[in-house]
Amino acid sequence: MVRLTPALVTTFVAALITAAAAHANPKRCVVDDIEHTVCLSQPAQRIIALSPGATELLFAAGAGNQVVAAVTYSDHPEAAKALPRIGSYNRFDMEAILAARPDLIIAWKEGNPREQVLQLRELGIPVYHGDQRDFKDIATTLNRLGVLAGTEMQANTRAAHFLEAIEHYRQRYSKAAKVPTFYQVWINPLMTANNQHFIGHALALCGGENIFGELPRLTPRISEEAVLSANPEVIIAGGMGEDDPSWLEPWRTYRNLLAVQRNNLFFVPPSTLQRPSPRLLDGIEQLCAHLDTARGRR
Amino acid sequence: MLLASATLGCIAVSVAVGSVSLSLADVWAVLTGKGEPLHRTLILDLRLPRALAAFATGGLLAVAGALMQVLLRNPLADPYVLGLSGGAAVAALLSMLADYPPVVVSIAAFMGALGSAVLVFGLSHGRGSWTTTRLLLTGVVISSGWGAVITFMLAIGPTERLPGMLYWLMGDLAYARSPWPALIVLGLTSLILLPLGRSLNVLSRGPLQAAALGVAVRPLEWSIYGSASLLTASAVTTAGSIGFVGLVVPHMLRLVLGNDQRLILPAAALAGGALLVLADTVARTAIAPEQLPAGVITALLGVPTFLYLLYRSR
Repeated sequence: MVRLTPALVTTFVAALITAAAAHANPKRCVVDDIEHTVCLSQPAQRIIALSPGATELLFAAGAGNQVVAAVTYSDHPEAAKALPRIGSYNRFDMEAILAARPDLIIAWKEGNPREQVLQLRELGIPVYHGDQRDFKDIATTLNRLGVLAGTEMQANTRAAHFLEAIEHYRQRYSKAAKVPTFYQVWINPLMTANNQHFIGHALALCGGENIFGELPRLTPRISEEAVLSANPEVIIAGGMGEDDPSWLEPWRTYRNLLAVQRNNLFFVPPSTLQRPSPRLLDGIEQLCAHLDTARGRR
Repeated sequence: MLLASATLGCIAVSVAVGSVSLSLADVWAVLTGKGEPLHRTLILDLRLPRALAAFATGGLLAVAGALMQVLLRNPLADPYVLGLSGGAAVAALLSMLADYPPVVVSIAAFMGALGSAVLVFGLSHGRGSWTTTRLLLTGVVISSGWGAVITFMLAIGPTERLPGMLYWLMGDLAYARSPWPALIVLGLTSLILLPLGRSLNVLSRGPLQAAALGVAVRPLEWSIYGSASLLTASAVTTAGSIGFVGLVVPHMLRLVLGNDQRLILPAAALAGGALLVLADTVARTAIAPEQLPAGVITALLGVPTFLYLLYRSR
């Protein structure tokens, strides 16, 4: 007869519980950014991304082949351009979405119209709500999308690389001299980004000092006067397109600006700094290089 | 009768047409309780509720417009002239800024519209006599006040919420959650207004004449104001502020049917509803998968029709 030692009993019970859990819940579950639990019984095979950022994240998580439709401006990576479109991120075609028979929808909490996202959920389609606010969120989202799409390996590797690269910049620039910087999000009206925005995070990472970082709104509208009185050492602008530095030209008329005197007017393609995706690393690399150039001109 | 069948026709078209093309046989199969699950979802969960909501909203706005035109004896009156849509918009945008769920936004819009109606009514009542000129002036001024508040909120609102706020202001049936409240309000007020048709006819000739003919003018005017406000509030709650229907549909019908309110009011319910159903169908299919706000199409369809009728009537 077998003696039931306490250790043996514990092991046995633990095994039972694990087996029961696996049987009752053979699912891939993640908690999304609005604290909803999204569960799938098998890896998602037909995914729809409701924002350009979500499309990039899915491709980065290795689930690019499982994406069946996207919204307009989903232009990265190259393969995303060929995806069927179901409207724009703030007005999409419900019929086209249903007709694509998605088994997972990646929504954007801030951008998508809520009524329609809610309706999609009520129609029984699993919806993951994304709301990435910092670098860590991007990595977490990659991990979770990997679980939902069954591409954990690639997703986790990508997420880890992303965080490592961020950490690399953090260490490299933590002691670098601060550079007072103005980032121009839009020209008319003149808009910038505060420290909560990805642009703000990226500036901080490269040792920049966002002159409007403390403003309460994420993308504040400001006056030219405010820029002139803050007198930044560097001005960085996005633009209408991915290679359109024309927004920097108007600043050259202000010869008293430090940034103009030192010719520290730089262009960074907007999508590399404004979308929550691993491509932020491209934007950060350019940003850090520009700030280094500015330090060299002191 | 003609209008009623035209309305049914519009709803049928709206159910049969969408960005996913279904054959008539597919549609019929769904309506008779069969059909594929995807087709059932498309028709029963998306197209039919939306068509009914469009019908109810259009009907509500057209009836409210007809009532306002009688009440104010002013051809330029529409359901929004007294600031109802402004009040609704301010409340709705505030709740959007505060990040409340869609249901709360709808409730806020309804309360805002009714609050604005009560405010206008109270102020125009004032101490002196209650005349329609005072009512109109008070309403127009309060309406501009709301307009300024809306612009202010759009100017300071966070950029990422702006598209949603703008689309609400343009009026869009994508926000319609359930058609039933609007349909019920439309049905009930129609029942209440029908027996009042004769008195409305008399009132439209002027309050003195109406009083001379034995109509209790004051209570009648108040009930017109009250019911028009309720109708408009339900409409903006369903679909935001959709323009044009309330102004032009009653005029169109007057050109065709003559100025008999007993005929105009039910006809306005049907024609307004049909116009908006049609407009929304075009809005969601014209450049699919991109979606347009229905308000754009109501004006694009309505302006030529109205001008044609006006031109021919001379």
